[in-house]
Amino acid sequence: MTRVLVVGSPNSGKSLLFNRLTGLRQKVANFPGITVDTHSGHSRQHPEMELVDFPGVYSLHAVSGEETVAVETFSRALGEGDVSAVLCVVDATRLEKGLVFALQVADAARRAGKRVVIAANMMDTLERHGLLLDDAGLAGALGLPVIPISARTGSGLALLERALLAGPEPAAPKDSLLARDETAYRNEAERLSRTYGPRGDLLIMSTSRADRFFLHSLTGGISFLLIMYFLFQSIFTWAAPLMDAVETSLAWLASLLLPWIGNDIARDFLRDAIFGGVGAFLVFVPQIFVLTLVVGLLEDSGYLARAAVICHRPLRIFGLTGKSFVPMLSGVACAIPGIYAARTVESPRRRWLTYLAIPLMPCSARLPVYALLITAFIPAYTMLGGWVGLQGLAMFGIYLFGICSGLLVTALVSRALGDRGEDAPFVLEMPPYRMPSWEPLLRGAWDRSRHFVYKAGPVIFWVSVAVWFLGYFPNLGADLGHSWLGSLGRLIEPLFAPLGLDWKYGVAILASFIAREVFVGTLGTLFGIEGAEDDVVSLAERVQASGLPLGSGFALLVFFAIAAQCVSTLAVLRRESGSWRLPVQMFIGYGLLAYTAAFATYRLVEWLVA
Amino acid sequence: MSSTLWQLRRGESCVIDRFDGRLRDTYRTRMVELGFHPGAAVTCVVAPRLGAPKLFRVGNAVYSLEKQVAELVITAGEGA
Repeated sequence: MTRVLVVGSPNSGKSLLFNRLTGLRQKVANFPGITVDTHSGHSRQHPEMELVDFPGVYSLHAVSGEETVAVETFSRALGEGDVSAVLCVVDATRLEKGLVFALQVADAARRAGKRVVIAANMMDTLERHGLLLDDAGLAGALGLPVIPISARTGSGLALLERALLAGPEPAAPKDSLLARDETAYRNEAERLSRTYGPRGDLLIMSTSRADRFFLHSLTGGISFLLIMYFLFQSIFTWAAPLMDAVETSLAWLASLLLPWIGNDIARDFLRDAIFGGVGAFLVFVPQIFVLTLVVGLLEDSGYLARAAVICHRPLRIFGLTGKSFVPMLSGVACAIPGIYAARTVESPRRRWLTYLAIPLMPCSARLPVYALLITAFIPAYTMLGGWVGLQGLAMFGIYLFGICSGLLVTALVSRALGDRGEDAPFVLEMPPYRMPSWEPLLRGAWDRSRHFVYKAGPVIFWVSVAVWFLGYFPNLGADLGHSWLGSLGRLIEPLFAPLGLDWKYGVAILASFIAREVFVGTLGTLFGIEGAEDDVVSLAERVQASGLPLGSGFALLVFFAIAAQCVSTLAVLRRESGSWRLPVQMFIGYGLLAYTAAFATYRLVEWLVA
Repeated sequence: MSSTLWQLRRGESCVIDRFDGRLRDTYRTRMVELGFHPGAAVTCVVAPRLGAPKLFRVGNAVYSLEKQVAELVITAGEGA
């Protein structure tokens, strides 16, 4: 068994190479610093070789929290006996930048007595432009094997793996550049790049033209808004056929299975708790798939780094930085990766403010709740040939509400804290625009959806079972109002009555404190028991038929947009912030704010309707 | 009076002379590692209005720098 540490600068194609070699489904992104944890996997061709992928860093001189974690972990790993080699990935199209880091790594590895192999990636791009890399000359100058590869096409990988397994023994420590001044690595990298690297303005000219459009004060702003609008609209328009397919399949399966079950209680359980509760949640999984796919598309194309530049100036007003944009956008998929990604924000103060904003980002667990309420209250009216839909606009609106709430909170807290002038400057590399590879994108979206189902599914199952049990007994589903759940619901009803919600919604809200999406499953089970004689009707139709006032629907939307209900998020935040203080403050503060804002919304909407 | 990187307009080039003393050591080291070292030729690729960060090309890479840091990089005349 041999272990190889895989390191490289951000955007060197390291994660794609790691995926190629191991077949693991690690996230590949075209945004600086998107990988914030180590991943490991065995080589597909040589299972005796384990590869450990480290987050991309520019230098072993860390300036951010994320880099400090990565560099410290790498240094510790270098000292371990079972580590045989270090694979350093450099982007051959931007050799100079990659070599600064490669020289530092080579120095550190030599001191630890480990072999180093340099993978000169993106050779396919060089070849397409008719440019050459003198890999043999570079290898001679470095005293290390340099293997030209393309992680995208897979060329050179067999040679690379052979070099990792049976490379030359590490050379005796040479003169370390460390002893010299801070420019030593840079000067050496420049010299090597000039002598052995490709010559030409690769990618820069086309990138500049695209950047002049995407970062222009007018066209950049408009394209940013259009791209974000496209993101939210796609959640409805692209996911609708998939959602219909899931719903139809579940109804078909129910009609196939239910007649075979003779026992009344078992049949009611299967119909109400399983098809009603768990099924209502499964219908929304395609939306999570589409959301993850589109966010991944933006990341891999290189656009997210531009979006961070566009957002930097506006975000500064709210005490944040352009680098807060990616953690916040990740928070739109799920707050947990968003909180991890906030390590890329170098300034501790702005990182803390980013933590405050992330739980208010409209995460995918809120999506089923929003989708249910919007489907129930907003007509499915479309215009411009189906490109603009009222429901999509409503979704855009509630997402915007969450984002604005997050910004408002950070602005207020930032003003209260005051600016102490300790913030790290905004310096961000612009990765080249690239055509994303569909395979890793689709696999990523599939993995995220599957993970979501596996994570939330068991919780939803048990909550659905518990809710069904309490609602079905002691009168065998004859009268939900006089069931055990009905009694419990009436106990908490006064808490939710000011929002115009009856006890059923109160029970569903309480259950959603386990996980937001449980709200949908719980309502599905409750309405299933109540309407046990009906045919299988979609949950949105049941909510419509329940006579829920419009004001209460909007109040629920506002409540779910603000409340910090997710236990996993609070636990991760505790780990990242180092104490329970911030998560506890957030849970109480956002809870009270959510209730107050929901109450105000209910009163306002009801007053407008009246 | 010395010029700074922030004063570059789109398409203009310069050579870096030195860093303002207000730039902290950690960030000065990072800037040097990225290629913004004294003697390096830098070109402004995109300069959006409204004070948004500008894009600078150094070597074969492009970086976005906000005003607060670009103002601390002192330049000396036309670059290559």
